[in-house]
Amino acid sequence: MSKGLASNFRLVLLSTAVLLCFASVGVRLVHLHVVERERLVSYVDRARSSITKEQARRGDILDAKGDVLATSRTVIQLGVDPQMLREEDRPHWPELARLIGQPLEQLVATFNRTQRVSQTGKTSLVRWAKLVDEIEESTYDKVRDLGVKGVYGNRSYRRTYPRNQLAAHLVGFVNREDQPSGGIEAFADFYLRGQDGWRESEKDGLRREMAQFRKREVPANDGYSVALSIDSMVQHLIETELAYIGETYQPAKASIIVTDAKSGFLLGLANYPTYNLNEYGRATMDQQRNTAVTDLLDPGSTFKIVATSAALERGLVTPRSQFDCSIESIEFQGRVRKFMPDDHSYDHPLTVAEIISHSSNIGAAQLGMRLGEKGMYQAARSFGFGEPSGFPLGYESRGLLNTPDKWSALEITRIPAGYSISATPIQIHYAMATIASGGELLRPQVVKQIRDAQGHDVYSFGGVARRRVIKPEVARQMARMLVGVTEEGTAKAAAIEGYQVAGKTGTAQKLIDGRYSKRNHVGSFVGFFPASNPEVVVTVIVDDARLDRGRLNYGSAVAVPAFRRIAEQLISYLDIKPVVAPESQPRLALEGAPW
Amino acid sequence: MKKTASAFVSEFMVYLLVLAGFNGSVWLGTVWMRHQISETAEITKQTERRLVAVERRLTETTVRLASEQSPQTLESKNREMQLGLVRPAELHIVRVEQSPEARLASLRNFEIFAKEVTTGEVSVRFSSVNPGTR
Repeated sequence: MSKGLASNFRLVLLSTAVLLCFASVGVRLVHLHVVERERLVSYVDRARSSITKEQARRGDILDAKGDVLATSRTVIQLGVDPQMLREEDRPHWPELARLIGQPLEQLVATFNRTQRVSQTGKTSLVRWAKLVDEIEESTYDKVRDLGVKGVYGNRSYRRTYPRNQLAAHLVGFVNREDQPSGGIEAFADFYLRGQDGWRESEKDGLRREMAQFRKREVPANDGYSVALSIDSMVQHLIETELAYIGETYQPAKASIIVTDAKSGFLLGLANYPTYNLNEYGRATMDQQRNTAVTDLLDPGSTFKIVATSAALERGLVTPRSQFDCSIESIEFQGRVRKFMPDDHSYDHPLTVAEIISHSSNIGAAQLGMRLGEKGMYQAARSFGFGEPSGFPLGYESRGLLNTPDKWSALEITRIPAGYSISATPIQIHYAMATIASGGELLRPQVVKQIRDAQGHDVYSFGGVARRRVIKPEVARQMARMLVGVTEEGTAKAAAIEGYQVAGKTGTAQKLIDGRYSKRNHVGSFVGFFPASNPEVVVTVIVDDARLDRGRLNYGSAVAVPAFRRIAEQLISYLDIKPVVAPESQPRLALEGAPW
Repeated sequence: MKKTASAFVSEFMVYLLVLAGFNGSVWLGTVWMRHQISETAEITKQTERRLVAVERRLTETTVRLASEQSPQTLESKNREMQLGLVRPAELHIVRVEQSPEARLASLRNFEIFAKEVTTGEVSVRFSSVNPGTR
């Protein structure tokens, strides 16, 4: 009889050995999987688990035409692990130094510093030393092509402003700690920021992610883009004009504001001095301040539109009502009030239209007296003085407008002429924009749309009227009278043939050491055109310009010519059509016929 | 015939070998499948990486483009290259009030008639029609 494959003894021996082997493996498995399980699993988890953060890209800030004002791009911080450097890579070091723009000696010094000593005297190995803060992708590719082992870069998003200082006070900036500072960057941070994603997986011995072991993945949601109402070209025009004013007249500061007359959206807002957004660290606080909304000044004669509009609105006067503007004082509420003197004397009573066109302080004060202290105060408040304009980007001053119970005896003669009251340039601008819009006080707006990463509109903003201040017919009467300022009044240099330019000059003496200075003035001009169908409102305010030959910074000296230059360029850029009035209809009608 | 213990063990060993072979195949298949999964995941990772790199390049190009298109850069290039480009003023603009079609037609007609006057050529001839021939 065949014994088959093996004898009984051998079979038993073999089977026992095999069983013992299996048993020992089983025992070991039970030990590892049951007894030691928790310790080992946590060890493996620590060693292999990898949670990678996926940074969301911050959204762009665009202008009205879709041009990029702020965007995020990756930058690479280049560094070295000196422990990994190889001797055979040494010939590539000079080329590496050239690529990153660093002297070779400095590079070699960084490479040779392999140890560091802590404050406690403990020595440790240097595993990372920074070579350069920021290099571009294309340069990094060249660095990698050199193949110097141990030299590698870490990517991060960095905010960049391709147009440098353009609209700096509106755009704001994001600092190196990724914190937005001012402007749209801070205001719309919620939309721009996006949401970081993360990925949980495992890594191998070389710390590389093993993609097949991805457990959970939450993709990053990139931030929305914010489209502004600002037009880069309009913004550039006014910034060029401000640069010219700054260079020629060296003012303390200056602001120019351009808005759409119908919606109140800002087309451009610029201040002098300004700064480069890509070099925000070098800018002083004065340069960073959006003085058009933060700084206060006496509006001067531009404020005369308030008393005049309110008196017309309440039917207290008509454009043809006459006032004696040759007097020096008048009795009001039982007391004699002395007027602020006018620059010119008048041999005949002035109509309301002439008070505006010749900018008579005495005439404006008498209009204020017609309204009374309370009426004057209410008119100023309704035009937006003494309260925030609603400018969305914050840091706005509300201005200074005392209640009538705090007024001195002289203030009823000063406030209607734009003294004893302080306002921001944006408040002055929107007071004039009220007339251009047909009587509604508009809210300053700068954000037009919020768009997702695919460019679809998530939210759109429209023009917002804060309240109706005057009736449309009163606004038309005012517009007609303001055309008189450029045709026969204080701002003839602002008139543009074929266009009805309406506006008002302003010159306010600066309060220096508690006294009104005769040398230091804030000159301004606020206007809109075409007056019969306004398209844009432009404000130019120049604080303390230095003119040659002892000339003073009246509104007509610096602000009016600047307004005209801007207006002429806006006409061609925005394709504003001239308004040709019929021969039978006078351009400057003092009352009655509508345009 | 009654099986002996040796025959049973032999048979058992054969089954064991077959089972081991089968298990080995299953394990090999599993390893191959895992390898394929790992390779596919690696390819996906590489593709993602390339996509991110392309997006980075795109952003870099967008930034460079935006910078080159800024009015400031364009103006400086205008100066450097001495192109002499200036902003249009009202003086340079001719506003056409009438319909462009009518204006172009009148210009064309003017050219035709001016040519006739100077050359004597007549492009449009009127001939009298004899009523009798109708």
